[in-house]
Amino acid sequence: MIWAAKRIGTSLLLVWLVITLVFLAIHFVPGDPAELLLSQGGAAPDPDQVAQLHEQLGLDRPLLEQYAGNLRGLVHGDLGQSMQDQAPVVDSIADRLPRTLELIAAAAVVALGVGIPLGTAAATRPGGWLDRIGTAVAALLLSLPVFVLGTLLVLVFAQTLHWLPAGGYISLTTNPVRHFQLLAMPALTIAAGLAAVVYRITRGAVADVRQRDYVRTARAKGVAPARIMRRHVLRNALIPVATVIGLQLGGLLGGTVLVEYVFNYPGLSGLLIDAVSARDYPMVEGIVLVISVLFVGLNLLLDLLYGVLDPRVRQA
Amino acid sequence: MTIRRRALVAGTVALPFLRIPARAAGTPGQLVFGLSSYPPNFNPWVQAGTAAGTVTLQVHRGLMSYGPDGQLRGELAEKWERDGDAGWVFTLRDASFHNGAKVTSADVKYSIEQVSAPKSTAYMRAQFQGVDRVETPDPRTVRIVMKQPTETLPLWLAAFEMPVVAAGSADTGKTPIGCGPFTITKQERGVSIDLAANPNFYKPGLPKLKTLRFVVYADETARVAALQTGDVDLIEYVPWQSMAGIEADPKLRLQNTEGPFMYLTFNGATGPFKDPKVRLAVAHAIKRDEIVKSVFYGRGAVLAGAPLVEASPFHDKTLSDGWAYDPARAKALLAEAGLGGGFNCTLLATAQYSMHKDTAEIVQQNLAAIGIQVELALPDWATRVSLGNRGQYQFAVNGTTADSNDPDGLSALIDSTLGPSAARSFDLGDGSIAKALAAGRAEFDPTKRAAIYTDLQKLVLAQTPIVSLAWRAQGYAMAAAVKGFTNMPGALTFFSGTTLEETTLGG
Amino acid sequence: MTRLPFLSVAALALLGLIALAAPLLPLPNPVTMDVAHRLAGPGAGHILGQDEFGRDELARLIWGARTSLAVALIATLIACAIGTALGLVGGLLRGIAELLAVRSMDVVLCFPPLLLAVLVVTLAGPGTVTLIAVLSVLFLPGFVRVAYAGVLTTRQLDYVEALRVLGANPLRVMLRTVLPNIAGPLLVQASLAAAAAVVLEAGLSFLGLGVVPPTPSWGLMVRAARATMAQSPLLLLWPCLVLVATIFILNTLCDGLQSWLDPHGATRSLWRRRAPALPAAAGLTTGAALLIEGLTLELDTPAGKVRPVRDVSLSVVAGETLALVGESGSGKSLTGLAVLGLLPPVVRPVGGSVWLAGDELLRLPDRAMRRKRGGALSMVFQDPASSLNPVHRIGDQIGEAIRAHAGRRKVVDLLTEVGIPDPARRARAYPHQLSGGMRQRAMIAMAIANNPRVLIADEPTTALDVTVQAQVVDLLAGLQRQHGMGLIFITHNLPLVAEIAGRVAVMYAGEIVEQGRTDALFSNPLHPYTRALLRSTVSEDGRAAPEGIPGSVPAPGTLPPGCVFAPRCTLRLDACETAHPALREVMPGRLSRCIRWQDAA
Repeated sequence: MIWAAKRIGTSLLLVWLVITLVFLAIHFVPGDPAELLLSQGGAAPDPDQVAQLHEQLGLDRPLLEQYAGNLRGLVHGDLGQSMQDQAPVVDSIADRLPRTLELIAAAAVVALGVGIPLGTAAATRPGGWLDRIGTAVAALLLSLPVFVLGTLLVLVFAQTLHWLPAGGYISLTTNPVRHFQLLAMPALTIAAGLAAVVYRITRGAVADVRQRDYVRTARAKGVAPARIMRRHVLRNALIPVATVIGLQLGGLLGGTVLVEYVFNYPGLSGLLIDAVSARDYPMVEGIVLVISVLFVGLNLLLDLLYGVLDPRVRQA
Repeated sequence: MTIRRRALVAGTVALPFLRIPARAAGTPGQLVFGLSSYPPNFNPWVQAGTAAGTVTLQVHRGLMSYGPDGQLRGELAEKWERDGDAGWVFTLRDASFHNGAKVTSADVKYSIEQVSAPKSTAYMRAQFQGVDRVETPDPRTVRIVMKQPTETLPLWLAAFEMPVVAAGSADTGKTPIGCGPFTITKQERGVSIDLAANPNFYKPGLPKLKTLRFVVYADETARVAALQTGDVDLIEYVPWQSMAGIEADPKLRLQNTEGPFMYLTFNGATGPFKDPKVRLAVAHAIKRDEIVKSVFYGRGAVLAGAPLVEASPFHDKTLSDGWAYDPARAKALLAEAGLGGGFNCTLLATAQYSMHKDTAEIVQQNLAAIGIQVELALPDWATRVSLGNRGQYQFAVNGTTADSNDPDGLSALIDSTLGPSAARSFDLGDGSIAKALAAGRAEFDPTKRAAIYTDLQKLVLAQTPIVSLAWRAQGYAMAAAVKGFTNMPGALTFFSGTTLEETTLGG
Repeated sequence: MTRLPFLSVAALALLGLIALAAPLLPLPNPVTMDVAHRLAGPGAGHILGQDEFGRDELARLIWGARTSLAVALIATLIACAIGTALGLVGGLLRGIAELLAVRSMDVVLCFPPLLLAVLVVTLAGPGTVTLIAVLSVLFLPGFVRVAYAGVLTTRQLDYVEALRVLGANPLRVMLRTVLPNIAGPLLVQASLAAAAAVVLEAGLSFLGLGVVPPTPSWGLMVRAARATMAQSPLLLLWPCLVLVATIFILNTLCDGLQSWLDPHGATRSLWRRRAPALPAAAGLTTGAALLIEGLTLELDTPAGKVRPVRDVSLSVVAGETLALVGESGSGKSLTGLAVLGLLPPVVRPVGGSVWLAGDELLRLPDRAMRRKRGGALSMVFQDPASSLNPVHRIGDQIGEAIRAHAGRRKVVDLLTEVGIPDPARRARAYPHQLSGGMRQRAMIAMAIANNPRVLIADEPTTALDVTVQAQVVDLLAGLQRQHGMGLIFITHNLPLVAEIAGRVAVMYAGEIVEQGRTDALFSNPLHPYTRALLRSTVSEDGRAAPEGIPGSVPAPGTLPPGCVFAPRCTLRLDACETAHPALREVMPGRLSRCIRWQDAA
């Protein structure tokens, strides 16, 4: 219990540190949101109007006051309003976050579904053809930049074969078939690299666990090979695999920007980059907060999961 | 074994469903338009980018507008004429707002007052602060009296940033009510906007479409791909490298016009470009055809004089080559300026937009040939704008369009006495350009006006408040079945959304 | 494999050499434009064609290699240096420094990497220097972790503590111990970071946040080529190929380094395959529960084939205990594993046979063998801590043994039988919650769950405390009597044998050297090795001091000609070294391999 409280405390501290750093960073970066809003289309902004807009957007208050205001709002769950369209930041995030999460989840399902079985099979026949081909393919996938892979997929599946639409998004309730058609390629692009990582980690972990003494004991008991694989090998090998996958998924939270851009998929990363480009301070801070909370929360969850998976940890 | 086989069979059966349905599945009477970015807001008077402008034009209309041929025409105004020295009288047609209320002169007065209010953030505030008073003798008549004779008032009223909204509807917290051919029915922020035809639109028979749907495709490759697969019917901002492919496709059509252009701006206060000879040397050192060829894939034209479209009556052909490529002259000019041995400098552009970056690379290479060693500074767009607005640069690449095809539309770009901005140079010249522009604004006689503007072009060539580089083609691409959409000429290309009122899809 | 990954090192070196040599190679200038010929295909003067500005593609690829590799290398080095320093400082200084070092890395990891890059680049302006800074920061945590973990493990080492007590400078000591230890993992981390750096640079340059043109970089080339993909697909292909190839080389290097450092070496398939080329076994009728006849095992080494077990014959009948005694390396454990078919795959039986009732085990297909293992034939292993699965309760593990053979026993009853108190609660315990003795009892419970005819116990007490050892031995003896099992008790501990075994077989260097009834063998050894073994243990009355045996057991590959024990034997004759003595029944019920057996006592 105390351990959990300590961890949550540290996590909150981390999140606070992150948003403070981001607040400072974005306020000291050259570029003014009011000026940008008024410079659209190559127009020359009137300094008077810029000052007007500053006042309207609350940018003329001293930095500390703005910071305190932000924190106060946060405590009440208010992330402020976007400087671009005055819509609540929470609304935009609530729109986009599920889409990014869905993308990551779909990619994870594919990556795990491909990587774990193949990695296991390769580990049981080291040096065999599956192992060699798998390692080569994994290395290839890991070396392919995501935006190149994405572009190639669009070229092949959308423009040439016309199997899938080129990009965009439509919600699940509006048109479920199209929704999944539009999800397919972006998810596959992310899944490719992820599957390669999963494959390698699984292969390493399974190869390592297979030579442990308790696997030998299980064989000595006359247990069937399938059961040995399930209950003894995989059950133990998947612990390091779960950790690595958890970390990868956390990293994806902010890193899907290239995929979202290439496939025109309106997710959270894209919103963040656009917000930084527009110096939309509340939006940037809001998204970074959400991402850090999710990431830190995910780590916390992983730690707890570790306790479930490995009873030796529960004691500690 | 059986389980695996069943799964395999189920998989193959599912494959045909992966094929996307043919275009016929689109809703009849609906056009899908691929936008290049999502409008940051729907404030009708703020310049929020061309995507916002296109959407605004569907929902809002003003006193004047431009027809598909680029000619000025009345929109809400049936008739317009001068009234005295500084006045204009407009007679309103029979039109109503989306809420059913009639459009009256009171609404026009309200709109103009909102725009020109001291605290307004409207794009045309400066222009409409030149209004002395707005009179409303009767509900269908508006008299606008300017402080000074202003020939260009109807042009200003045709800008899509100057629509007329229902009186009171733009007060804080309210959504302005417009009178355009469509109304917004649904928005998915960042993704799409759905509009429905306004059954009471004041032009009978228009709009021809039942519904209009804007979908955002930020990535240009995705945008083109969407057109090619039939996901959208019409796209804006066609990337130049895709134009040839679209023209070759019998199912698609491309409409191009040259309105936007690339140019260089200068810091006239400090640095090597204070000296007009140096600026002129730069002007003569650049191989503009290389820019057209490589940055715009040949979709553009060399621009070696003041950026007035050829179609404009004020365009002077004899002056259009004033900055032609002449490296010998460029070197000579440098020598005259005492910099015969060359010098180092930094060119500001942005990495965020390829056309800016690519143009900068060519300028860098060309200037190296005459001894000027250029280092590129390529921050992101927001930083570049900030640096430009503060004058913290030596010279910079920019791209824009004039406000209109009239020479007055260039004012904001070539009048460098207006102060630093990302869009123009600052602190150079002797004020003669500003004077010429003011004179042209107040002159009603066409011949006299032409003379003023010829002088203006000469001044631009001599003082180099900007160095024009190239026209770039602004393209709209559409399915062959799309009829009635026109890419309006020159600088008005971004007003092309107006023609959506008469666009049809098929038949 | 323990070899250095030469191929990937060589490939990387070659790549680096080409990149370094770029200014010297006869290439066109990579920044000179030739717009008139933009996007031209391969032709005279331009082997790979020209890019969107007419610049030479091949030159840009090679110069791009310089940029990408330099950025990756420098970023990796900086991250390594600073990260290692941070980790070391944190671990060595403890307290606030430790907290700061570790927690600051958590903050870095809290930031999505691309966003961090965007913010840093926007603050400092794009360029190679900024790019390197961003990448260095992104890779810091990995190195900090390695260094910190290294310090943590070293901190606990006894001799470090001892040196501290003696007054040696703790920092110097730790550095001298830690650094060599973490050198390997740091190398692995470095190759990982380098590969990631190359990929990230491509991504950042794609977004316009990387290297500033006209400096060529692969990332920039991909960005530009993507725009002209329809017209010139090859332009996209070249930088992609080189990118993929470089990262592939770095990844392979990383893998190679990891296995080079891994003491376990490569693992091969553990699943048993049919024993190859075993001659057909002659049918034998015998009353023995288990009969091993002339078993010979072979394994491949870099020095050639060796035979760690040669011509071993043993038997045990129901209700009897046979002790198999020998030093480590004598082949006794391998013999036991061979019976159960659990040999590591590098070791194969090449001769002899093993009979369990009417079945010959070495030639049995795996499915049939599985039915025997844990059923009629079972084994107890040496280290119960590692031989039990740490994530399953012991009750479940015992139950697994029962269910594998459709047994009827109840787990709780088995636990009671092996002497574990409070069995119902203990069944729900995890292995780490039990003491060493309890764990071994649980293992024994698993082994006897299905009433085996033969039980092989491989050094079941070696890993236990001395007090517990006696208990476990008693337990085994009791169980054997109760179930009437044949028990083969493998051990190196002679006094233990005296208590429970009826017969003893002594193994030396892969051979049986003596076999016979326990009491007879103990009072009258018929082989010099047996005598030496007896003398080397403390005698029961504690009066005689133990004597060591001079010399050491020969490795299977370096067996002396003649008698294997001869080099260490006090009774050595010339005849011993010329001819290999056979195992003969020299007295009723006594086998010996010594020609001077009469003098051995």
